[in-house]
Amino acid sequence: MGELGVEHFLSLSAALFIIGMMGVLIRRNILIIFMCVELMLTAANISLIAFGWQMHSLDGQVFVLFTIAIAAAEAAVGLAIILALSRRVHTVDVAEIHELRD
Amino acid sequence: MNLDLSLDLISPVWRLTTPQLIVFFLALVLLMLDAFLPKAKHFTVLTAVSIGGYAAAIVALYWQHDKNESTFNGLFRADGLTVFLSLILLCAAILSVMTSASYVDRLEGRMPLGEFYVLLAFSILGALLVASAGNLIMIFVGIELSALATYVLAAFAKRRATALEGAMKYFLLGMFASALLVYGMTWVYGITGSTDLDQIAAHLQGVVTGSESRQPEILFALLLVVVGLGFKIAAVPFHMWTPDAYDGAPTPVTGFMSVAPKAAGFAAILRLLVQGLGPLRDDWYLLIAILATLTMIFGNLVAISQRNVKRMLAYSSIAHTGYMMVGLAAYNSASGEGRFVSLAGDTAQSDPGITSLLYYLFAYAFVNIGAFAVITWVQHRGRGMLLEDFAGLGQTNPLAAFAMTIFMVSLMGVPPLLGFYAKYYVIVAAINADLLWLAVAVVLASALSAYFYLRVVAVMYFSAPSRELRATSTPLLNAGIALMAVANVALGLFSNQVLDLADFWSGAMTVAQAVASR
Repeated sequence: MGELGVEHFLSLSAALFIIGMMGVLIRRNILIIFMCVELMLTAANISLIAFGWQMHSLDGQVFVLFTIAIAAAEAAVGLAIILALSRRVHTVDVAEIHELRD
Repeated sequence: MNLDLSLDLISPVWRLTTPQLIVFFLALVLLMLDAFLPKAKHFTVLTAVSIGGYAAAIVALYWQHDKNESTFNGLFRADGLTVFLSLILLCAAILSVMTSASYVDRLEGRMPLGEFYVLLAFSILGALLVASAGNLIMIFVGIELSALATYVLAAFAKRRATALEGAMKYFLLGMFASALLVYGMTWVYGITGSTDLDQIAAHLQGVVTGSESRQPEILFALLLVVVGLGFKIAAVPFHMWTPDAYDGAPTPVTGFMSVAPKAAGFAAILRLLVQGLGPLRDDWYLLIAILATLTMIFGNLVAISQRNVKRMLAYSSIAHTGYMMVGLAAYNSASGEGRFVSLAGDTAQSDPGITSLLYYLFAYAFVNIGAFAVITWVQHRGRGMLLEDFAGLGQTNPLAAFAMTIFMVSLMGVPPLLGFYAKYYVIVAAINADLLWLAVAVVLASALSAYFYLRVVAVMYFSAPSRELRATSTPLLNAGIALMAVANVALGLFSNQVLDLADFWSGAMTVAQAVASR
């Protein structure tokens, strides 16, 4: 095995991103979709760190701090909406929530 | 990083950020008033403070109109684009407060009124930050601040399942879009080695002129960014959340949602695609042009089959996104059609495409919030938002029907109203940029849209009234509708002056680019 290079981190990040994206597109449970989106954000964080490390610049790491903060804020807002919705309709399955239709 | 720049980060030029700071402190003041003021005074005081705060921010913008500077180490810019986009956003904020105050106050099962104004202020603040961003990080933080506040606004009637459903779809797809956007930004950073828009542009200029090697990854990054921002501005095929979120949200909030987050999305596109990735214009303009055509045609086609006026306007707002994207596709840094603008000792050419996009956003704020304001007015009087609820409005209340007619005809694009000039300049820009087929598509799509806009007018004047209107007093809403109706006519008649302003500020942006690339 050779040394860990930037391409290893980028591959990991790409794999996580694709898993997350597939999850959003395939799964029906709101909470799982939500977790998959978080996975996509984490994937972006890993490649930001990897690029910053490769180029010896701090910008990428600063960006990651902001992304983490935003992901946390999004979790707060998102879970609040999901909680309020599941209280009203007693389900977290997107296929069963369809009052609004054309 | 040299010493000068670091100093700029430690002791920034605060006066450049006055309008944004005013909105920030407005949000804080509103939070405090909400907590400590007696409940009975909430409506009057909070509404007055909100409108006063946004008006003060507009006044503060005046001192920035000839600035071309940046501070916070390039994170924050006070240039032409900032001024014009901020003006649009602050006007939209004032109009939204005027139209929503009485509706939200009487909404059943809502959150407290103070929270509504606070969320509105934070949403505007986020959009203002995108408009003045000079860095990928600022764009992302701003667009998320704006979006997070808007998700909550969409769910404001928290006891209604449809409101929550719309908000949930908006939230999940908005988050998904943000993830795509930030992953795209990651690759832009990885390829160009900087998060600063000017340095990105300088690096890409080197790539395009051939002094550095071209990497295929940049197209991948470009695609991710376009898809992510396409969700934010509701371009087809990334529009799925729009009708549901617009339908579920309280009506005046829908008016706000169709203008402010869209303006924030276009601000991000202008900053990112035009300023940062501008050298790649030849790679992205065709993509934008195709998306614009799809968006215009699809939005108008689906709007025809809608009986619910709110959903119809949701699809119409998708179609208008398409018209705006035509202006973007017409961006061409080497066109040489623009006017020369001189600012702070530097001269550059304005771009007709960007000018028409800015003008369209400005016009759209006055037309669309107006249309939603009339629906709010009708809902206040005990009717719903189906087409039948507008029957006979021309006899029972001629003034409201007249205002709605102005907004519908303006959305359709009939001279001499504001909406006509917006479309006209977009078409001219497209022709100037050798995109004749795109100009033809705009005209065809507008012809298609005439059917469903005029149907509302026909129902108001030629159908018998179905039910009595309930007597309700809404002075602020009436004033707002009157203001927007007058603005549609007046700003249409004086469209040259507004266009000159848009042109000046789009030129001012090019000045900033020219200075940066030196």
